[in-house]
Amino acid sequence: METLDSLYIGLQAALQPNILLYCFFGVFLGTFIGVLPGIGPLAAISLLLPITYHIEPTAAIVMLAGVYYGAEYGGSTASILLNLPGTAANAVTCLDGHPMAKQGRAGVALFMTTIASLVGGMIGVFALILFSPSIVEIGLKFGPAEYFSLMILGLISASTLASGSPAKGMAMVVFGLLLGTIGTDINSGVPRFDFGIAEMMDGISLVGLAMGLFGISEIINSITIKRDGKITEKITMRSMMPTKKDVKDSIKPMLRGSGIGGFFGALPGTGAAIASFISYAVEKKVAKDPTRFGKGAIEGITAPESANNAAAQTAFIPTLTLGIPGSATMAIMLGALIIHGIQPGPMLMSEQPTLFWGLIVSFFIGNIFLVVLNIPLIGMWVSLLNIPYRILYPAILVFIMMGVYSVHNSTFDLYVVAIIGIIGYGMTLLRFEAAPLLLGFILGPLMEENLRRALLLSRGDMATFIDRPISMWLLIISLLILSWSFFGSFRSFLRKKTLAKEQAAAGNA
Amino acid sequence: MKNRDTRDLIGGIALIAIGVFAAMHARQYELGELQRMGPGYFPTVLGIILAVLGVLVAVPALFREGTSIKIEWKSLLWVMVSILVFAVLLNHLGMIFTSALAVIASSMASDIKWKARLILSGCIAVITYLIFSFGLGMVIPVWPWSY
Repeated sequence: METLDSLYIGLQAALQPNILLYCFFGVFLGTFIGVLPGIGPLAAISLLLPITYHIEPTAAIVMLAGVYYGAEYGGSTASILLNLPGTAANAVTCLDGHPMAKQGRAGVALFMTTIASLVGGMIGVFALILFSPSIVEIGLKFGPAEYFSLMILGLISASTLASGSPAKGMAMVVFGLLLGTIGTDINSGVPRFDFGIAEMMDGISLVGLAMGLFGISEIINSITIKRDGKITEKITMRSMMPTKKDVKDSIKPMLRGSGIGGFFGALPGTGAAIASFISYAVEKKVAKDPTRFGKGAIEGITAPESANNAAAQTAFIPTLTLGIPGSATMAIMLGALIIHGIQPGPMLMSEQPTLFWGLIVSFFIGNIFLVVLNIPLIGMWVSLLNIPYRILYPAILVFIMMGVYSVHNSTFDLYVVAIIGIIGYGMTLLRFEAAPLLLGFILGPLMEENLRRALLLSRGDMATFIDRPISMWLLIISLLILSWSFFGSFRSFLRKKTLAKEQAAAGNA
Repeated sequence: MKNRDTRDLIGGIALIAIGVFAAMHARQYELGELQRMGPGYFPTVLGIILAVLGVLVAVPALFREGTSIKIEWKSLLWVMVSILVFAVLLNHLGMIFTSALAVIASSMASDIKWKARLILSGCIAVITYLIFSFGLGMVIPVWPWSY
């Protein structure tokens, strides 16, 4: 069994004391920021990115990954207790989780979401192990044309499926691609958009961009948000025990949720948040009595929590096997590997087996750490929710600035962060999403290089993208998604117009 | 119509401006041809696409009503002051005093009492030192006299 041998290599790598330590630190921090509303996994991972320069690549990626899936565990805590989602993927958990807390079943809800997260996470890791080798084999056949088309598919689905307006999402991707061209062009050595500033020749740093867009603008946005309600009730181990019926009612929803999450997590552009919403909708459809939903139905929390954790694991499939991240968080993960000189792609599995399999085994270990962190230690996280934001944000801001400074030991990057922070805040005000921008920024240089290479090979013949069958199919799917989402937004625009007209007519009558 | 969708109108116009600027600016780089693209090719194409998308965002906004934009000026101002304080002072005062002053600046955005603000700034400065200098071994001067 080749896979078992590989897993053994991974186990040896993951059980090294320092890897275990970074894994624990990662999931601990992930739970921490997941519990706290107002700071998401993306900001936390970019905050940690400068630190990863100082440690070895396997430890770095194990830690960053831990933050990501750890946040999906912790995120349900605030959803249940405060009716405020810890991360976007836990928003749907509020619907039935908070009513459960009001009925005095907060402990059960917290316990069951942790179990659901564990089930989802484990099934996600198994899917990752099962499907990665075959996707690697397909990936090995890819040339520059296929890579370019795959990136087009990823960027189009990321920009149109997740956000409200496809034109705005696309614009953010293109803006990100443009920001990615800043700095020295690798093919010709010509510095682009450097405006005569020496520091700009290296381009905008990923850390600075991510911190400005997610850290700074999130802080500005959250300072004045009033958070009411102190949590006074104590969560005891006894109050966490679910009834037999709770467990029985959750098994099938957890499995369905894991399947849905695993599928959508691996697709480019969709992710944990979309997966959790879809799995909630599915549970409502298959339920015998859909009216229970929204009033504390256990399936309403266990299915989406399984889904978002399964998605958090399978999101690594395209990133690790093809080198194409499906989401902004995965793009930062990719960036962290590139910083260490490791180019993720179909060769990663054979060239860096300890990193690849070590990471996967660390997912198992991390998920077990998370159960320990989230069940016996739940009281600690609950009391964390009582810390007011006005005490937290000055500290977060200082950590961001120290992190940005430490990348190049230069204060220039701090001014860049200030400017990007203003742009990022402006984008939130105008309802533009920052995640597609970051994805475009990271994929930009890769995309330009593959485009140039593909056209060099075909001697300038654009037909190469449709002559090659895989590339053609990727482009056809992209086109379908694009036209479907533009058609959808046009239709809703027309519907609103006619509605407004009818209302106006009714008002005049 | 009184309240047009100002968000998308401003956003769309900004995108058009950025796109046109990028495409114009990229003209100074060699364009090349499809077979052998120069450094100017990709940015020029992207600039044009961005401007077109800007039109697609801005034009529908003209025919749609929107809500007004509320800017948190106080938070924006003090967060920016905090970053500037940090950037200007870090190479002169060392990380302890710089972090403390940056915390005082950023905490001006919230209603917190001066006594609590000073305690907070001291605590965060110490934590910052412990994490970055002590824990991660970063080489940054700690005190003004450590340069």
